[in-house]
Amino acid sequence: MASLAKGWDIQVRVIKALMLRELTTRFGRENIGFLWVMAEPLLFAVLVGLLWRAMKGPLEYGVDIVAFVVSGYIPLVLFRSVVSRAVSSFSANSGLMYHRQIKVIDIIAVRFFLELIGHMMAYLFIASTLYAFGMFPAPYDVGFLIIGWIYYSAFTLAVALVIAAASEISELVEKIVPVSTYLMIPFSGAFYFVSSLYPSAADVVLWSPPVHGMEMMRFGLFGPSIDPKYDFVYPWIFTLPCMALGILLCRIVRRRLVIE
Amino acid sequence: MSNCPASLGDRMIICENLRKSYRTGHGRREILKGLNCIINKGERLAVLGRNGAGKTTLIKQIGGVEFPDSGHIIRSMTTSWPIGFNGGFQGSLTGYDNARFIARIYGKSYDEIRDFIADFTELEGALKQPVKTYSSGMRARLAFALSLAIEFDCYLIDEVILVGDQNFQRKCQIELFEKRSDRAMIIVSHDMHAVREFCNRAILITNGIGENFINLSEAIEAYQQQ
Repeated sequence: MASLAKGWDIQVRVIKALMLRELTTRFGRENIGFLWVMAEPLLFAVLVGLLWRAMKGPLEYGVDIVAFVVSGYIPLVLFRSVVSRAVSSFSANSGLMYHRQIKVIDIIAVRFFLELIGHMMAYLFIASTLYAFGMFPAPYDVGFLIIGWIYYSAFTLAVALVIAAASEISELVEKIVPVSTYLMIPFSGAFYFVSSLYPSAADVVLWSPPVHGMEMMRFGLFGPSIDPKYDFVYPWIFTLPCMALGILLCRIVRRRLVIE
Repeated sequence: MSNCPASLGDRMIICENLRKSYRTGHGRREILKGLNCIINKGERLAVLGRNGAGKTTLIKQIGGVEFPDSGHIIRSMTTSWPIGFNGGFQGSLTGYDNARFIARIYGKSYDEIRDFIADFTELEGALKQPVKTYSSGMRARLAFALSLAIEFDCYLIDEVILVGDQNFQRKCQIELFEKRSDRAMIIVSHDMHAVREFCNRAILITNGIGENFINLSEAIEAYQQQ
């Protein structure tokens, strides 16, 4: 028991240290520092939202168009940045492997948490700013919004773990990932409500686990008028085995990692 | 050796039948082919062998930087990371930032080790520069200073006792071999003069197998005859 608690303490210490290190290397200490973490998703979502607003008018599927775009885009960008940052992240950080208490999973976890915090901050910032201008609804059910985020980000983490390990095994993965993350555009559920699709198309996209998370988030935000489609169990049938596989692959890859 | 039989066996490192191979252009090359060794508390083991014999490979396995293909490493004392010309640092961070990071992961107070590092390495202004601008000697100094500040039961040293000027070498000797004479050390070196001065036992790696010598002079003789 004592050694388990000690091991936990060490991992907490390591994750904290890695988090601070990642913040310094990526954002530096000058000017707004770590607030840069939210700059990219923020700009992206706002600009695309305004573009849609100019093209299509104030409403999409009966809800505010900017709120619709922001609520879909930020999780999508989260997925893309977490997964692309996971590629080759072990060999790029091989210096860290000199310290036995740092596990490869810590590296992925830290990058994931940092992106998650950044994107959630951007989400919150945009939502409250737009809310002040009457362009963003007050959430219908905050609990559902959070549960949706959990489903969506668990899927993201699971995929990132597999990709991180796979990219160390084959260079092909490194090449394929940037292209294949675009597959998430239709399969993230960012640009539609499932209820607005043809039934045959809806059946197809509901095979994609993150669509369920996205529908939950948007139900929490816009309420029952969007007629959300989701299942509480199905996404875990993919996410949990995928996470287990990712962790297993990471362990195997670590044992084979050659460090200069 | 300890007088208390109950504590016999703790504070040691045991390497059992270590095998390690690396992938090369054509097939795998086996570097360690079933190596055995034991390091007890306070022992100073020299690792001898020709270039490419597997000395650094052995140190990396003991330090947990890499994992052997098969065999076991049992550690019952705290072991430093391999202190050498590279490894363990983030190049884009400054010397101080690296020190801060390493202090955090080993659970030490940065304020306490900061002054020691500045004093010991004599790198002064360079500590505020990114580590990627350092020469290999400067990196080794920093790694050495950090490992001394953190305090380990066993130090893994890859060729660095010969780093730097006379003054620095003297400081290393005081800190490592005088103040910490109770610690174990595993030292990789090609310098038989240093080996004679600092070590009390040796392992000679030939064709992936380790030959353990109790008598240091015999080990050096065997190595020089290769």
